This record gives sequence, C-alpha cells and structure tokens, in this order.
Amino acid sequence: MNHWLVIVAMAAITYVLRAAPLIVPMGRIEAGLERRLRHLPPALFAALIVPALLAPAGALLGGVRLWAGLLGLVVGWRTRSIPVTIAAGLSAYALLRWLAP
Amino acid sequence: MDDGIAQSGFWNGFLQTVPLWAGVAPFGAAYALAAHAAGLGAAEIAGMSILVYAGSAQFAAAALFAGGAGPLAILLTTLVVNTRSVLLSASLAPPLRRYSRMLRAGVAFVIVDESYAMSIGRVLRGSGPPYLLGSGTSLYLAWLGGTAAGIALSLGASGLGPIGLDLVFPLSFFVLLMPYLGSPAARIAAAVAGGLGLAARLIVPGSWYLLIAAVGGTLAGAAAEPRR
Repeated sequence: MNHWLVIVAMAAITYVLRAAPLIVPMGRIEAGLERRLRHLPPALFAALIVPALLAPAGALLGGVRLWAGLLGLVVGWRTRSIPVTIAAGLSAYALLRWLAP
Repeated sequence: MDDGIAQSGFWNGFLQTVPLWAGVAPFGAAYALAAHAAGLGAAEIAGMSILVYAGSAQFAAAALFAGGAGPLAILLTTLVVNTRSVLLSASLAPPLRRYSRMLRAGVAFVIVDESYAMSIGRVLRGSGPPYLLGSGTSLYLAWLGGTAAGIALSLGASGLGPIGLDLVFPLSFFVLLMPYLGSPAARIAAAVAGGLGLAARLIVPGSWYLLIAAVGGTLAGAAAEPRR
C-alpha cells in the first residue's frame, strides 16, 4: 500500500470539506443558513468544553484534574483572559497534584 | 482592504493564538509518536501534518495504519471525522462572501476548531479573514513544530495528561464562549450541546460527539429563538 497516495487523498478530502462552503456560491441558501447557524458558535464551544473537562478520554474523570479545571473556569469567568485562565488552571493542577498525589 | 489593518489583524490573530500552542504542539507530538508506532516513516509523518493538518483525522489514520486497514477505510474515516469542517466553513461563508475567491481558498486551509473558535467573533463583526488567517497560521506552525518534536522523540509515552496540558483547550474555549451567552437562545444552544456532547462522548466512539453536539445545540438554539 502506498502511504503517500493515502496521505495526499486525505489532504484532498480534508481541504474540500473546509473550502467547499466558502467557494461554492450558495446564493439564496445563505440567508437561511446564516439564521440557522447563528447558534453554532456557542454550541460548538460547549461541545468542546464539557466533554474535554469531564470525560477527556471517553470516561468520566473527576479528582484533581476536575477541581483544577473548575477553578480555571472561575478564573476565566472573572478575568475573561485566556492566558491568565490557562495559567491558573495549570498551576492549580500542578499544586493539587503536589499536595495530594 | 487597508494593508495596515490587514497586517495588524494577521499578527493579532497570530499572537493571541500563541497560548493555544501549549495544547496543540503536544497533540502534534503525540500524533507523531502514534504514527511512528504505526510504522510510518519520518517523511510520511511530517508530510501528513503539512498536507492534511487535521489532528483527529491524522490520529485516526495512524491507528488504522497500525491496524493494517486499507486505503478506503482510512479515507472514509477522514471524511467522517472532518465532516464538522463543513459546518464551520458554512458559518464563515456569509461574512467572508465579499472577499476574493483566492483569499477564501487560502483561508479554508487553516480553518480548524481552534482557529474558528478564536476568530468567529471578529469575523462575524466584519473584520474579515486576516485575523483568522493569522490564528490559523499560528496553530499550523505549532502543529508542525509539535509533529517535528514528536518525530525527534519517537519514543516514550504520549503525555498530554500528566501535566494537565489537556486543560488548555476547555479553559480557552470557555473564555471564548462567554461573550455568546447574552441571549436565552444561545444559552440553551450551549447547554444542550454541552449535555449532548458529554453523553455522546461517553457512548459513541471517536469524535462523533462533536458533530452530534454541535448540530443538536445549533438546532435547539434555533428552536428557542423567539418567534416574530
């Protein structure tokens, strides 16, 4: 089996999926699409957040990681800053693991 | 478009995405280690990151290569795993419509979950492609750097978990989510997508949960819109 052939075909499929909606003219469909997709951003964010926080590997995971994550969320809610939130979450994780290994 | 604005948009996008490198680069390294274990050569591992640039699809492909799957199974998996790209691009299409086809074709290559997340707010407010292009380029470099590091290591455990780097994404996305929660319909979309995503993550294998939750949440949000 030629690995390179598969890789190039994978690249083509991935690119077409990304580019088609931007390149193919959709005309009248767009107005309706715009309205229907209005809530995609919050839905996608929540879909990326909740499972990654509660079940990172496909099974519920609590403990130190969850507490650090929740603390990070509180900091994110108060500061609205990505770097500060990441720093808070990761330091909390490191600290909690050190305190309760 | 004014060149100065385009420049600052690109670099703003590039620099403000740098914190996400902490999550992307280790993921790229983990992919490279998985692909190495699957028997792919260094050039093939790097080539896939350069040409495909789709984390979960590349991971799945590595696993399938390892299992000795045929090309068709790998390509079908790529198609399925990346279906959500159509949703992301479709939601970017209306605000980007007035830009040239060449520019849209270029931007399309760097539309991934993270660059979409970083940029959608600005793009909807009419800032155009530069920020998205900068954010996507930034993540692309991190992805390539991570892949290169993984190839260099090519041994040891794929360790996103042990130092908590896998917290980078949910925490970043939470900060990006908050501005959207102004309307009740948006809060319903987020709540439904979060619940659905968790349930699907626990039940359905692979990354289907993202598509299920994104579609379900978007529909719930649309249904909750006040009628006029």
